[in-house]
This record gives sequence, C-alpha cells and structure tokens, in this order.
Amino acid sequence: MEDQIAVKIDDLTVAYDYKPVLWDIDLAIPEGVLMAIVGPNGAGKSTLIKAILDILKPIAGSVEIYGKPYKKNRALVAYVPQKGSVDWDFPTTALDVVMMGTYGSLGWIKRPGQKEKKAALEALEKVGMLSFKSRQISQLSGGQQQRIFLARALVQNASIYFMDEPFQGVDATTEKAIINILKELRKAGKTVVVVHHDLQTVPEYFDWVTFLNVKKIATGPVKDIFNDDNLTKTYGINYKVAITQ
Amino acid sequence: MELKEYFEFLISDYTLRTISIGTAVLGAICGMLGSFAVLRKQSLLGDAISHAALPGIAIAFLIIESKNSVVFLIGALLSGLLGTFWIRGIVNKTHLKSDTALGLILSTFFGFGMLLLTYIQKIPNANQAGLESYLFGQAATLVESDVWLMSGVTGISFIILLLFWKELKILLFDPDFTKTIGFNTKFLDILITSFIVVAIVLGLQTVGVVLMSAMLLAPAAAARQWTNKLSTMVIVAAIFGALSGVIGTGISASSNNLSTGPIIVIVAAIFVLFSFVFSPGRGLLFREIRFRKNRRDLQLHKTLSFMYHIAKDHANISHPHAIKILNNFQGFTRKTLKQLEDKNYISLDGNMWQMTPTGYEKAATLYDQISKSDE
Amino acid sequence: MNSAQIEIQLIASLVAIACAIPGTFLVLRKMALITDAISHSILPGIVIGFFITHDLSSPLLILLATASGVLTVVLVEFIQKTGLVKEDTAIGLVFPALFSIGIILISKNASDVHLDIDAVLLGELAFAPFDRITVGTTDLGPKSLWIIGSILITTLLLLIAFFKELKVSTFDKGLAASLGFSPAIIHYGLMTVSSVTTVGAFDAVGAILVIALMIAPAATAYLLTQDLKKMLLLATLFGITGAILGYWSAHLLDASISGSITTVLGIVFLLVYLFAKNKGLISVLYRQKQQQKEVLLLTFLLHLHNHSDEEEERKVAHLNDHINWQKVKSRTVLSLALKNNMITIDNQIIALTDKGKTFTEEAINYIITNKDTEIEKMKDRFFLFRG
Repeated sequence: MEDQIAVKIDDLTVAYDYKPVLWDIDLAIPEGVLMAIVGPNGAGKSTLIKAILDILKPIAGSVEIYGKPYKKNRALVAYVPQKGSVDWDFPTTALDVVMMGTYGSLGWIKRPGQKEKKAALEALEKVGMLSFKSRQISQLSGGQQQRIFLARALVQNASIYFMDEPFQGVDATTEKAIINILKELRKAGKTVVVVHHDLQTVPEYFDWVTFLNVKKIATGPVKDIFNDDNLTKTYGINYKVAITQ
Repeated sequence: MELKEYFEFLISDYTLRTISIGTAVLGAICGMLGSFAVLRKQSLLGDAISHAALPGIAIAFLIIESKNSVVFLIGALLSGLLGTFWIRGIVNKTHLKSDTALGLILSTFFGFGMLLLTYIQKIPNANQAGLESYLFGQAATLVESDVWLMSGVTGISFIILLLFWKELKILLFDPDFTKTIGFNTKFLDILITSFIVVAIVLGLQTVGVVLMSAMLLAPAAAARQWTNKLSTMVIVAAIFGALSGVIGTGISASSNNLSTGPIIVIVAAIFVLFSFVFSPGRGLLFREIRFRKNRRDLQLHKTLSFMYHIAKDHANISHPHAIKILNNFQGFTRKTLKQLEDKNYISLDGNMWQMTPTGYEKAATLYDQISKSDE
Repeated sequence: MNSAQIEIQLIASLVAIACAIPGTFLVLRKMALITDAISHSILPGIVIGFFITHDLSSPLLILLATASGVLTVVLVEFIQKTGLVKEDTAIGLVFPALFSIGIILISKNASDVHLDIDAVLLGELAFAPFDRITVGTTDLGPKSLWIIGSILITTLLLLIAFFKELKVSTFDKGLAASLGFSPAIIHYGLMTVSSVTTVGAFDAVGAILVIALMIAPAATAYLLTQDLKKMLLLATLFGITGAILGYWSAHLLDASISGSITTVLGIVFLLVYLFAKNKGLISVLYRQKQQQKEVLLLTFLLHLHNHSDEEEERKVAHLNDHINWQKVKSRTVLSLALKNNMITIDNQIIALTDKGKTFTEEAINYIITNKDTEIEKMKDRFFLFRG
C-alpha cells in the first residue's frame, strides 16, 4: 500500500545564531501515523516542529503539508506547544484557552460565537475537563493544563497534529488519557507527530519513529527501526543511560 | 477642603473640570494599555521609554524656541522610540541582558535630557519656564486642546482594542501558537507597543517622565488581583487609572506647591496595596485565612482517617474506643477531638470515642481520594 | 584649574569608582534594575533623615537612607514571592511609590528643607567644595570627599576580602552554595554596599543619574572583556573618564555636571557598542554576514555529502529548487565553495572534493557533539577565503 505523504521535508537546515541545529533534513511523514521524534537534548526536536510550522525561518530547504507550503495549508495543522512556553498565570479560563483553537478558522476580527463555544465544550469533554471549564488556568494542575492544550488542538479540527513534549510534567493518569486520545486520532486517519523523551514507552505508544540528532538518523515503523543500532547512532554508546533516566 | 465642596467646585470651575477630565482620560488609557504591558512582562520598558523621552522634549524646545505641547509630544515620541530601538539593538546584538540595557538607556537618556534642560535654563531670555513640569508633571498646565487630543487617542486605542481583541489576547497568551494559526504577530506586536508608547508620551505632561511608568503599571497590577478575565481586568484597570488621576489631581489642586505626578502615583499605589491585601481571590489576607483553614482541616482529616483505620476493623463502626489508643498518632489534641465532635463525625464519652456513621462515610471518601491521588 | 575644580573632579572620580565596583557585579548578576529601585527609594530615607539631622552628610542620614534602600530590595523580593504580579512589575511598583513619598515630603516642607527637587535629580556637585570639614583652624577638605572616600575604601576592602566568594557566587550560584558561601549573605551584602554607595553618590549626582554611574561603565566594560578583574578595572576607568570629561563639558556648556557626566558615559558606551573589536555592533554585523555565508556553505556541502550517490540532487539548478535559495545566494555559495577547493562542477553536476569531504565530516562531528567553538578553528584550517 502506497501511503499518502502528509508532511514532506526537503533539505531543511535551521540555524540559531549561525550554528546549525538541524542539518539537511529530508523527511516524509506518511498520513495516518502516530510518530515520535526522539533524540538527545539539543538535538533540534522542538526546532524541527517549529520550522515545519513556520515559526522559525529555515536557512535552506522547504516544507510541504499535503503538497503545499505551510502558509497555504495551515488549516490542516494543529499545534500543541510546550506547556512551559506560556504564562499560566494569564487571566483567562480553561474554556477560553480551548476556544483559542477556533481563532485560526475565524480569521481576523471575527469573534467566536455559539458554534465555536459548542466545539470547545465538546473538546473539553473529550479530554475529561468539562467540569473545569470556568477554572482559571493557574488553578489547574500540570496534567490538567496539558489536557487543556490538547483540547485546544482538538478544536482546531486538523489533519495533522504536532505536539511538543505533551507528557512532560504530567501525572500517569493524564499521560494515559492523552495517549488514548492520540490513538483515537490515528484511528480516525489523522497524523500525529510527538516530540517524546521517554524512550521506554516508544514501542507501546507509537507506530512510527524518527531519530534525530542535528541530522536525521532514521525514520520508519517502530517495529522495524527502533533498535540498538539506531539508538546508539542517536544517543551515543551510553544510550542505555538515557533510557533509564 | 471638604469632599462635597470640592465636587461643587469641580462642576462650577472650568479649569479644574478640564484638568480632571484630562487626568481621568489619561488614567483610563494608561490602565487599559498598561494591562497589556504588565502581561507581556514589559513593565519596565515603560520606565525606560518615559525617561528616554526627556531629551526629545528639550531638543524640541531648542528647535522651536517656544512651548508647544504638540511639538513636545512629537519630540518625546521620537526620542522614546529611539531609546526603545536601542534597547532592542543592545539585547539582540550583544550579550548584555535586558535589565542592563533598560537601566543604561533610561539613565543616560535622562542624564542627557537634564544636561539640555540645565543648558536651556541658562539661555538668556528664553521662554523656558515650565519645562521642568515635564519632570514630575503639572496637571494644571493641561488645556482643553490637550484633553481633546488625549480623548481622541483613547478613543482610537479603544476601538483598536475592540477590533483586535481576540488577536491581542491570544498574542499575549501564546505567541508561537498565534503565529501558527496565521496571524501576523509582528503587526500585532508593533500595534500594541506603539499604543503603549503613545500613552506614555501623552502622560508626560501630567505625570512627568520620572513617574510615568507607575501610572502604566499600578492600575493594571491592582486590577489583576480582582479578576481572572482579561476583559474585566482591562476595564477595572481603566477605572482604577481614571480614579487615581481624578483623586490625585484633586489633592494636588487643593494644596499648593505639589506636582501632580507623585500624588497620582501614591493614590495608584494605595489601590495596589489595597488590592494585594484584600482581593478575595488572590489577596494576601484571604490567602492566609484559607491557608490556615486548610492546615486545620488537614489536621482534622488526618485524625479522622486514623480513627477510620481503627474503626473499620470492627464489625460495628460505632464501637467505642479509648482515646488512649490515639496516642500513637501525633496529630491530635483535645481541641481537634472537640472539633470533630462538633462536626458530628465522632462522639465523645469520657475517655472513649466512637465514630458516627457520617464520620465513617466522610473518612471513607477521604481515604478513596488519597489512594486515588497516590496512583 | 583652581582647587575647587580639582576637588570637584576628585569627588566625581571617587563616586564613579565607588559606583563602578558594585555596578559590575549587578550587571553580571542580571540585577542592574535593582539600582533603579534603590536609587529612587532611598529618597524618603534621606528626607526623613534630613528632618532629624538637618545635615545631608550626617552618618545617621546615611544609615537611614541605606536602610530604606535595603528595605526596598526586601519589599521587592517579598512581592515577587507572593506571585501576585510578575517580577519586573514588582520593581516597577515599589520604587515610584517610595520616590513619590520622598518628593511629596520635600514639596510639603519646602520652606524648612534645603533640599530641592533639582538637587534630588541632579545632585549638588558644584557646591561640594564649599561644605568643608575643619578641625580647629585646619581645613581637612570637602565633607563629601571624606564621605565618598570612606565608602570607597570600605567597598575596596570588602571587594578584596570577599573577591573569591563574589566571583564564585556571581558565576555559579550552585557551586557557591556547595562551597559553603551563603548566597543570601553575599546577595544582601552586595545590596547593602549598593545602597550605601547610592546614598553617598546621591549627594553628588542625584537619584537617577547614579543609575548611570552604576550601570554604564560596567556595561561598557562587559562589551570589551569577560574577565572579572579586567572588567572591574575597565569599568573604573570608564567611570573616571566620564567624571572628568563630563566635568569639563559641563564647564564649557555652563550646564549640570552630573547630566554631563551621564551624557559622556552614554557616548562612551555608544562608541564601544559600535566599534568594540569583538562585541561591537559593526564587527558583529560583519561577522554575522560572514558566518551566514559560511553556514550556508556548510549546509550546501552537507547536502552534497548526504546525496553523494544521487546525481539529481547535486545539479546546480537544484540549489534554487529544493534548497530554496535565490540565484544570488546560490551563486555566492557556489563560488565560495569553488574558491576554497571544496567542490568541483562537472557538466552542471557538483561533487565534493576530498578536502570538502573531510571538512564536512569533521563539522558534522563537532556539531553533534556540541563543540561549536571547534568549528571556528576548523574554518581557519580549511578556508583559503572567508565568506
């Protein structure tokens, strides 16, 4: 079966202060996979997602989402940033944050209405946070905050989901809840790309994996390529330490 | 002056009325836009901009050799912006951190401004009197056209806020996400920053370059304590700002020899202090009360769950036990037992205690909660 | 030069040195703005002290003002800890309020306080030589000279005694704590020294300009060196330059001395900011342009390396197409690569030379192992022509 390609990355190079953090990446993400991006700290995992989403400007290369540049097809994409990247003491409620997921489709100036609210409430219910809808976001636990972020992405109603370390600082229950939702998304034919830290859970959670350390080391089905050889290439000979950490 | 007298005077006296409306409008716009500055962690940028505006005012005077508040505004705006860009340049292109850049720009620009001011003072026959009022502000120098200008700018920024409300809110909360869903964050950033700069420059005449930043921060910081909703925060900040302006002007008008800036800042600071202590949600007072109550409850719950463990081993939950056996457990006192009895969780009888069905149920749910969160 | 002029310059220079020392540490510790807070909020302390002593240079006044400076730091930290507002907002709220109280106290009692608002903002350096200490009939010199002199000596003694502790705690808080230096003691010690110095300098240069004396020389020095001792020396040097040049330009313009000192400090910073050899704007921009080209070259070489067995990916036209570079960009990169003998072009198909191959492989290795500094050294070894 020839899968359709959801995200195609060609010769992508990104540099911070003229130091390359991603180097000549070629990567094709097939439609309908649940993919982990793994690699040591500073390997450029978040950078890769940010470059795909046009948050960072690459110095070379191109990215296509279903055959078009990101700008043309951004409606097909949802993004969950790292939880730590925003100010959780911001004066707003859980429902309000989830509603932000509808802003993109609304475009400039137009305000969210009943339809958007209904979508947001449904997403909250899906992540099990409906009873917290009026809570101020600083009063939520780390896991709850992550669920809110996931709900916001669900509201975007996209075909491809990018998530930057969604399991960082969340409790075990939330982790399970999140992975179940991600698996559901895959079942519905969506593509999910997750920056992931915990190597031990890769085979259990994901069906596709990309090893990254400045360069792309390998990409493919977990069952085929998640092996000692690639782990060593990515993390060095001491990768077992990285796993147990 | 009595408050009532003052209000009668306020309504009858044209000048005082103009000034009061002016400071109220100024307070409102500062509160409104200050909310954005505070939430963007740009609190001290305002301080740098306002100080950096001083040489602009002095140079404007040196060029036109007379006082004209519109020309001064333009001078202030230009040198304020120059200062802002230089700060950005220092932070982006060197390893100096933003705190150093801010402090450096605000103090050297201000020093240069003071150099020019003292130089201007020595120029013979110059029409320079009153330039110093830009240091600490003199609301009395406000005339009707100034008030119209302020109201105009406030009106425009209010409309802009309404139009781009959704976009500005999401930019403040999560800039990266905002970019991914297709909003031009650079445009929004420039939009809100320029309005903040304009608000600062507008306030210089009334509050002065030295204290202007407080006018931007204080109402917003106070308002933040009363609400968890951005729109409410902006409105409350505008109200606090307007009130600080009017009350401050009133006090300073009723006594001689006082610049308006410091008084307005003190009034705004009192709003902040009051909000920090007494706001019901976040205030320190209620936080302390809640904290103590929680600690007490925790103590009670610990005792109760200890009792639960003893009681559940008996067929009859209300089987009486000696108080003595609680001695193994450090957390209880006569007082906690009494409180538990008051809540009808246990009943005491001399040296014996027994659990009531209500208490047993309560303890059981507590136990469930604890074991769940341990998972 | 008469003796009053020499005395003024001497006082100004001592103030500049006394400020530059704590200033250097504050800049390094990213706490430069705390000087903003301290210098404003000592005002109520000074005013109240003045009501009691009627003498701007009395020790009690200095003590009170210093206490209000340290109190400000404590208050700011307390507000930060409550989490009610963001950190910088806490500073921005505290000092204007305290400064306002000071200003109001002065204006309210204008008739019996010989402290006017100009003096608060600008200091009274020009009058410093007239307030002298005399014992019997012997003239011991201006009072401010003695005050700032003793503050400076104390600061220097503390600096020498605790240099190691200060250095370690500034660059590595964790290490300092593990070596048994209490970070809190060093922190509050530094805050106290900063407060005392600010109070001492207040008399000479006023509340706001003391910030410039603390920050500007240190920031300028930091653009030139990363070495703590050199930075302290340079900051002192810049401070003295500002003091003396500032004095003479004020003399020339017949304007405020402290305003003029600050302006000179600002200009010195501007010059260094533009022209410093490594960290200056011009050299940064030049280097950035060079590095930009070189990073493009690296990217390009790596691309060739990755696709050494696919001719299609190595066509000249591919540069515009896949790598997404415009014509001009690709041409510069190509010519740079050719000039350095990294590639050969044969019939529109590009191939790495052996030198190019070695260079690329080494570079990959360094970047993946996070040894970026090695790359610069490597460029020196390989490049015949820089970007």
